[in-house]
Amino acid sequence: MYDLHSAADKALAALTSGGADAAQCIARFTETHEFNVDGGRFSLFRTLFDNSLSLTALCGGKKGSASVNRFDDAAVAEAAQTCLAIAASGESDSAWEFAPMLNNLNTADGSPEADLDLLFDRTKELMETIGKKHPTILMEQMIVTHKKRHSVYRNTLGTVHETLDGDYQIELMFSAHEGERASSFFGSYVCTDDLSRPFIELGSLEEDLSNVEKQLDTTPLEGKFEGVAVFPPSSLSSFLYSILGNFASDTTILDGTSPWRDKLGQVVADSRISLSAAPRHESVVCGERFTGEGYPSEDYDIIKNGVLENFMISQYVANKTGLPRAKNSSSALVMAAGDVPYADLIAGIERGILVGRFSGGNPGTSGDFSGVAKNSFLIENGKITCALSETMISGNLGELLKNVCAISKETVRDGAGELPYAAFGGVTVSGK
Amino acid sequence: MLHDIVSPMCAAMGSDSHAELRTQLNRSCRVTLLSGNLTANAKSETSGVCARVYRGGVYGFSSMAECSADAAAAVLRAADENARFMDRRAPGGKGALPMIPGDFRPVTGGVQDPDQKLYADFAKEIDAYIAGKYPNLSSRAVVATADSMEKILVTSDGAGGYTAIPRSYIYIFLNAETTAGAPIELFKAVGGSGTFDKNFTDPAKLYPEIDSLYEQIMQKREGIYAEAGLKTCILSGELTGMLAHEAVGHTVEADLVLGGSVAAHNLGKVVASEKVNLVDFAHTALGVEAPLPVYLDDEGTPAVDAEIIKDGVLVGYMNSRESAQHFGMNPTGNARAYSFSDEPLIRMRNTAVLPGKDKLEDMIASVEDGYYFTSTNNGQADTTGEFMFGVCMGYEIKNGKLGRAILDTTISGVAFDMLKTVDMVSDQMHWTSSGYCGKKQPMPVGCGGSDIRCKITVGGR
Repeated sequence: MYDLHSAADKALAALTSGGADAAQCIARFTETHEFNVDGGRFSLFRTLFDNSLSLTALCGGKKGSASVNRFDDAAVAEAAQTCLAIAASGESDSAWEFAPMLNNLNTADGSPEADLDLLFDRTKELMETIGKKHPTILMEQMIVTHKKRHSVYRNTLGTVHETLDGDYQIELMFSAHEGERASSFFGSYVCTDDLSRPFIELGSLEEDLSNVEKQLDTTPLEGKFEGVAVFPPSSLSSFLYSILGNFASDTTILDGTSPWRDKLGQVVADSRISLSAAPRHESVVCGERFTGEGYPSEDYDIIKNGVLENFMISQYVANKTGLPRAKNSSSALVMAAGDVPYADLIAGIERGILVGRFSGGNPGTSGDFSGVAKNSFLIENGKITCALSETMISGNLGELLKNVCAISKETVRDGAGELPYAAFGGVTVSGK
Repeated sequence: MLHDIVSPMCAAMGSDSHAELRTQLNRSCRVTLLSGNLTANAKSETSGVCARVYRGGVYGFSSMAECSADAAAAVLRAADENARFMDRRAPGGKGALPMIPGDFRPVTGGVQDPDQKLYADFAKEIDAYIAGKYPNLSSRAVVATADSMEKILVTSDGAGGYTAIPRSYIYIFLNAETTAGAPIELFKAVGGSGTFDKNFTDPAKLYPEIDSLYEQIMQKREGIYAEAGLKTCILSGELTGMLAHEAVGHTVEADLVLGGSVAAHNLGKVVASEKVNLVDFAHTALGVEAPLPVYLDDEGTPAVDAEIIKDGVLVGYMNSRESAQHFGMNPTGNARAYSFSDEPLIRMRNTAVLPGKDKLEDMIASVEDGYYFTSTNNGQADTTGEFMFGVCMGYEIKNGKLGRAILDTTISGVAFDMLKTVDMVSDQMHWTSSGYCGKKQPMPVGCGGSDIRCKITVGGR
């Protein structure tokens, strides 16, 4: 058995008695049950029991961090000693700090206890449903997991949080095959705390499977055009993470390379764009409860009606730059729906591309992106026509946000966030 | 200890099953200086024991964050229960896998991780050198890092042993602006197999690498956009290594072959020009120890080289015990697990395109209008073999001579088509082992290659 409070208490005592001016500790127990399907057949059932003890100490403004996955007294004492030695090797920086005692949490979310028989039945049902409805789909890998997490956060300022949660996660990697013809692979993900519905009904699983089946026969695009790129929620999320990582994150705000560095309160996007980091939103399953620095997590707007409201920065970077800290450290994105039905959004496009997946390099702070449009379709005269191969798209992330054609009324909830379909103009689409 | 626990349990398992028991310790360390700010100074350690039981074509697995006889017995029991659950609910309908008996590789030495101060002081010296000598950079980052995996494995076949894979690297990132004010970045990873104190004895030894990187980013400041389209290009060994790993290596991992990769229909067929040879080396490559040597995999199979492409023909896959039985091949020792809580998956070790006989200068001289792509910052590929690599440094070639540097671009193609256009392969070899391969679990891998001349699609702007 584990005792998270005891491990955290002992760690903090060892750090303070060893010379730390301030310290924090996160102790966590995780229990995982996981069914695996490989190459279309059940292959593995895993059960994992893991611990995690993460210590951070500030000694004269010098910060050190150490983590182990044991709670026994000897391991805790050794980890504390390591943490203090690491702090001693650092540089003094007054910007480091932990959350003051504000609002101590004691929460329970989701489904902490697994129903393994029902989970297996739902997994098998999904395999059977795919076999019947999507016979060309070959499941390269399916991982269906239940995770139970029990965490305690303590710091020397008196902040104490205790959280318990549990959820089910379904990850699919698949492609369509007929003879020697094959589509590109595609990955789908959904998270839930409720096993009452068949998995095929969750997130965008059904749509993803249908689309990949239509990608068995592809056509290489000839030539090049500038048109509209439509991003369904699954690929929109990766573009948004790329934008936020390059323009609004700790690293690029601290080193000053973000083009948004001086744009707080200014328009950076079309007025139809409102984007939040929202781990407490109703669409997010078991979202973050407290940040890595111990603050209770609250939802906040990153962009509201096109105006940059907040950066996604830690307390440390906030102290270094004089900017406000982000109210959570999660990646749960919620984007406001638009007012155009998805069918009308497509119908309004003369020439464009539906980007199922983007395989490209990290654009960097210039925002220029260029890469292969995978699992994608050509849009012509308001209709989705053929699946594409060997087609590249390029543009600029910052310009993309300003060049919105339409945002759909429909949104997809995958348990990690909620996003609509979005159409952006000014994207270069090029073939052979 | 593990032998004593596992033997009686394995003896009672029946003829259609077998078991593995593994204890493992992973360590990692990271010091990050971002424009002089020490933003990360951390060490982490995870350890525990795990068991995997095979029964009738399905596996059960369990792990605990504890290295004790009680924990070992508990995970072996839980893994067996999980295998029975699967055998009952989703029977694999298969018999036992062929035995892989072997000796027990003795426990030796152990990885001795140096004090954190060594990492921090080294990174600070490197950072101070860059800040002092090159003040016109817009920002810089220095990351000193090390990780290691130590394992003790026993199997019910009687094989097993101790293995250790330590590596350490310093990453240097330089940022500047083009003359038009657009941000540009270049990075360099220096290091390899071994602990930090062995690989990095003197910061001054890295200064020539930093000077070279600075010179390149200054060339890139004046860079031009590459012209889009199908071009005759030379890919450096760094890019060829990424091609070997991403665009070919993954498609010949036997579990991905079973998942429908392009290699499923191409065994024994010509997939590249006859100048192309590709091998996943186990522990020794071209007469010397490979960047990340693997002597024994986590199923107890002694690791041997997996020959993939021979003179342009696809001749083999990378296999686990189970996939080798399925394909009627020999297991190659490619089943590797990242942490104590991970089951072995088919992973690459040191995957490389082998050198040819051409000289790089002759290759450049042979290109009338094309590019020499020297560095990459990322790469992705599909199981169809379609790939995309980001190119962060390169030069135009005009009339057989290197010209202006280029700005970031992408190259793409379909591996088994593009490799057929390779008509020159240099006699130089470039290895790296700095990254992680991602496939359910992360995994340190080595990849290598020689410069190749080929036709490839350039993304342009």
